[in-house]
Amino acid sequence: MSKIKHFVEQSWLLLVSSFCFGLLIAMASAALSPQIEVNKAAKLNDLTIALLREAKRFVEVDAEIEVKLAGGKKEQVKVYKALSEAGECVGWSFGAGGQGFADKIELVVAVDGAFEKIAGFNVLVCNETPGFGDQIKYSYYRDQFTGAPAERLSLVKGGDSKKIDSEIVAITGATVSSEAVVQIINTFLVQIKDQVKAKGLVGNGK
Amino acid sequence: MANDSDNKAGLYRRALLTGLWRENPTFRLLIGMCPPLAVTTAVKPALTMGISVIFVLVCSNLVTSLMRNLLKSHLRIIMFTLNIATFVTICDLFLRAYAPRMSEILGAYVPLIIVNCIIIFRAEVCASKSGPIVSILDGIGTGSGFTIALCILAGIREVLATGCFFDIRVMPNSFVPWLAMRMPVGAFVTLGLLLGLANVMTMKKES
Repeated sequence: MSKIKHFVEQSWLLLVSSFCFGLLIAMASAALSPQIEVNKAAKLNDLTIALLREAKRFVEVDAEIEVKLAGGKKEQVKVYKALSEAGECVGWSFGAGGQGFADKIELVVAVDGAFEKIAGFNVLVCNETPGFGDQIKYSYYRDQFTGAPAERLSLVKGGDSKKIDSEIVAITGATVSSEAVVQIINTFLVQIKDQVKAKGLVGNGK
Repeated sequence: MANDSDNKAGLYRRALLTGLWRENPTFRLLIGMCPPLAVTTAVKPALTMGISVIFVLVCSNLVTSLMRNLLKSHLRIIMFTLNIATFVTICDLFLRAYAPRMSEILGAYVPLIIVNCIIIFRAEVCASKSGPIVSILDGIGTGSGFTIALCILAGIREVLATGCFFDIRVMPNSFVPWLAMRMPVGAFVTLGLLLGLANVMTMKKES
C-alpha cells in the first residue's frame, strides 16, 4: 500500500500532465486535420499532373483495389485513371506509403496508359534526414524511375543511374531511404497492376 | 509601494530585453545552433522558424511557470520535454494546415524544436523559478532575440545567394550570385563573421 502511495505521490503530476497534453494535441489535431487533408489532396493533384503532363482530368477507378502490406495488413488503395482532353486514358496514378528511415514516406506513383512503364513518382510526405534521406525528392534519384518497367524493381549500390531499367542506384549515405522507396513501389505497383489487369480495366480504351 | 512597482517594472523590462542582446541565444550564448545553420537560406523560412520558436517558448514557459511549485526535481526534465513536445506538435500541425509550403521547406526542423536547448534552458533557468508574467516576457524576449539573429543571417545569405531579399530583387542584374551562400559553408562563414562582429561590439561597449 505504501509503495502505491509513494508511486502516486511521485508521479501524479506526470500522469495528469500527460493526459492533459495528450488531450490538447488530440483537440488540435481534430481541428487542423481537415485542412491538412485538403492541402494534401491539392498537393497530390499537382504532383500527379506534373508526372502525367498529357492528363487533363483524373477519374477514380470504380473497383475495389487492395494491397497486402509487408506486415500482412491489407490497405484499400484509390487508383486514378488519367484522361486526356479527348477522354483517352494516358496513365494511372495511385498513392503509396511505407516506413522510411526516420518516419513514414508517402509517394504518388504514376504509370503509363498500358500499365507497362512507370511515368515517375513524386514525394508527398517525407521526414527523412535532411541532406541524406531527403534526397529521394531530388531528380537525380527520381529520374531513374521515369520510363522504368512497371514490374518488380531492385536496388543496387553502384552503377549507372542514367540507365533506365529495373535496377535503381541507391543514394550514397541514404541506402535505407532509397531501399524504402523501391520497396514501397514494389509492394503497391505489382499488386495494383495485377488487379487492374485482372479486372479488365487496362486497354479498354475508356 | 512605489519602490515595489518600480522593482516589478524593472524585472519585467529585464525579462523582455535580456534575450534580445545581452543573452541572445545565437550571438551571445551560442545555444540552439541547428536552426541558424540549417534554415537560414532565405528570410521567409527563417522568420517562420523564429515565430514558431517564440510560440513554443512562450507557451512552454507559461505552463512550466504555472506548475513550478509542483515540480519534483528528479522529474523536471521529463516534464519540460513533455510540455515542449506538446506545443511543438501543435505548432507543426498549424504550419501543415495553414503554411504548407513553409512546413515543407522547414521539414524535420520544426519537430526538432523539441530538442532545441534554448527552450529547455529557459524553462530550467527562468520559468521554473519565476511567475507567469516574467516567464511570458522572457519567452517573448529570448524568442525575439533568436528570430532577429535568424533573420540577420538569412538576410545576408539570401541577398548574396540570390540577389533578393524577402523574394524582392535588391541587387543589380549584373550581380553574380554566390552559390556557396546557399550551402552549409555559407551558413558557417556568415555565422562566424557575425559572431566576430558581436564580440567586437561587446568588447567596445565594455571598454
